[in-house]
Amino acid sequence: MTVEKNYIDKHLYDHLINNSRSMLSVINRNYCYEKVNNTFCRYHNIQPENILGKSLADLWGEDTFKENIKENIDICLNGNIVRYEANFQIPLYGERFFEVIFRPLPDEEGNVTHLLAETVDITDLKITQRAISEMEEEFRRLETHLPIGLLRCKPDGTIIHYNKAFSDILENTENENLEGLNIKDFYREKTIFDVQIMHAADGSISTFKRVPLITFKGREIRCRVNIYVVTEKDTKNPLYADFAFEDSTREIMLEHRLLQAKNIETIGSLAGGIAHDFNNILSSIFGYSEMLLEEIKDNQEGTEMVGKIIRAVSKARELTNQILTFSRQVGQEKIPVNICDLLDEAVSFAESVKKPNVSIEKNFRDRNVLVYADPTQLFRVFMNLIMNALQAMENTGGTLTIVQERINGNQFQSESGKSIIADEYTVISFEDTGTGMEESVISRIFEPYYTTKDVGKGAGLGLSVAYGIITELDGEITVKSVKNKGSQFKIYLPLADSLPLEEIAPFAERSRVLFICGGSHELKVLGSALEKSGYAVDYAIDIDGLIKLSGDEDAKPDVIIFSQDNENISSDILSEYMIEKNIDIPVVLITDSSYDLSKEKLLNSGIAKNVLFKPVSLREILTSIQISLNK
Amino acid sequence: MAGILIVEDEKDVREMLRDALIRRKYSVIEAVNGKEALAKFKASFINIVITDILMPDEDGLKVIMKLKELKPDLKIIAISGGGKFGPAGYLNIARTLGADEVFTKPFSLRELEKKIEELLDAGKQI
Repeated sequence: MTVEKNYIDKHLYDHLINNSRSMLSVINRNYCYEKVNNTFCRYHNIQPENILGKSLADLWGEDTFKENIKENIDICLNGNIVRYEANFQIPLYGERFFEVIFRPLPDEEGNVTHLLAETVDITDLKITQRAISEMEEEFRRLETHLPIGLLRCKPDGTIIHYNKAFSDILENTENENLEGLNIKDFYREKTIFDVQIMHAADGSISTFKRVPLITFKGREIRCRVNIYVVTEKDTKNPLYADFAFEDSTREIMLEHRLLQAKNIETIGSLAGGIAHDFNNILSSIFGYSEMLLEEIKDNQEGTEMVGKIIRAVSKARELTNQILTFSRQVGQEKIPVNICDLLDEAVSFAESVKKPNVSIEKNFRDRNVLVYADPTQLFRVFMNLIMNALQAMENTGGTLTIVQERINGNQFQSESGKSIIADEYTVISFEDTGTGMEESVISRIFEPYYTTKDVGKGAGLGLSVAYGIITELDGEITVKSVKNKGSQFKIYLPLADSLPLEEIAPFAERSRVLFICGGSHELKVLGSALEKSGYAVDYAIDIDGLIKLSGDEDAKPDVIIFSQDNENISSDILSEYMIEKNIDIPVVLITDSSYDLSKEKLLNSGIAKNVLFKPVSLREILTSIQISLNK
Repeated sequence: MAGILIVEDEKDVREMLRDALIRRKYSVIEAVNGKEALAKFKASFINIVITDILMPDEDGLKVIMKLKELKPDLKIIAISGGGKFGPAGYLNIARTLGADEVFTKPFSLRELEKKIEELLDAGKQI
């Protein structure tokens, strides 16, 4: 019986040992294998008789044994359990990972004569671990780079974990650690947080749009918030809440702008239609007034009265013209314009009229920027913004800062929400420290006839005209303002060198144009625009200048542009001189809407071929010059 | 005396032009749109056409093209007060199509009359 039992025991042990998933071997103090199990033989693809009695150096090679194994075995033979991980080549399976355990086997007297080596294949475990850590890494990367703010907090709002985007949304530029802070403190209304938790407590994902939050910088932003509450399995008590925050401030801004643009578009087409009909009505008033003037030419009192009617018509025409500009129904003649030169001109004019308590600072970062525009129109836009800013600061004093820089199309798109038509844009910012505006004013600022100025200080068309001009140039005009702090207007325009070059109005010959005018900045802008359009431009400030030039065959002008802004030379003097000297040069008269007899004389004499009312656009002046030259 | 065809859908403007030109002793024919203008046009009688651009039933641009075909030395003055491309935009197109002169509404009658005289003078010289 005993024998039988011993036999069964031995058989069972052998079976257990041989079928273990571990390689098992017994090694003696001479570093030789005394026993190995079947798993060992299978891994090493070797028969037991070929390994028993052989040394570890025989199996592993002298170098491997000395470098990697012997030291561990010596530690074990000194009575210690040794455990380490190693990877090595196995004949049947190639490179695998193993956990190696050496256990000392003491004899009856306690002397360690042998050790038991157990080698466990942990390759699958390793692969799984690596996959998990890769996944973790991937997840961490996603969490870090995802533009969505992720947050885990306790049901009371204490922050447990958050990602970078969340920190960015809150403008945590100092990188303060948010863990342990309460998310409720960033809610404009703390109760909203509790409402959200309650809502999501049923385990569903709840979405809240445009939740107002206050950032580290004290700025109010709006976020779309998704919440998922994790609850305890049995009690359903909330354990923590996961939040996804998306900043929708920009989305709201774009929506708002779209609405505003649509609104302005509607008003624009309405106003444009009215202006068109109005021009017809003005035509008949104008025409009959001129007929009446002839009928009563001996009646001085009557002539003056009709003169006043014509003056009123001229004013009305100026107005309809502005409305048509706003509703983008007036085409602009476009030439490459250096933005900074134009700004310089506008600023130097503003400097001459501004009060001493306000100052203007310029910071032009890229002076070589060209845009396609009618410089006279753009000049009006700049003047309008500058004069508005000066007016907003006239009681308190302050500084208007004008910054010009070059930006790329993507930046333009992200700031304006408009589609890109050029690779590069220029942005000009006009920032004042004046009275600022209320939110309700800002949203309507570009509408025609919307004005906050006192009666008589402005008709309320300036900004709507500016809007029309800039939009026509595929640009954008934006406004930001804080009551009592100041306003900032920004103008974006596509750069000329990144636009497909269109042919500029071609001129057969290089005609000479003589400007007879005072030092008006607006006319200077016009003059340099004419030069860029291919004309040779001369300037004269008095009759002597005209005498000098008209006497010289080479410098003799083909067209004279006469502006009545000049004290040195009146239209009377000009017409008398030209009649007396029999000078046959066509004159284009630029005038304001006032009506006077000397202007009449100039027109009646046939000297002035064309009369233009201020403000004059490049297209108008080009057309007038062409008409004058054509005859 | 020279004959002038006025093509204008706005009654007030058309009548004002008619009254003014009759005062200058021109023979005047009126049309309220392009279609009527083409029907009333008599090559032997009309020296100058003054046409609005934006009109229902055949706009001024078509009038200019068709009349220039019928009578290449015809003088045409285009007038416009606005619309989708703006007065200047339309008038530029009109000029390209063959209008001899363009005016933006509201225009000075005196300038218009001066221009008519010039165009008629130029016509005689040829």
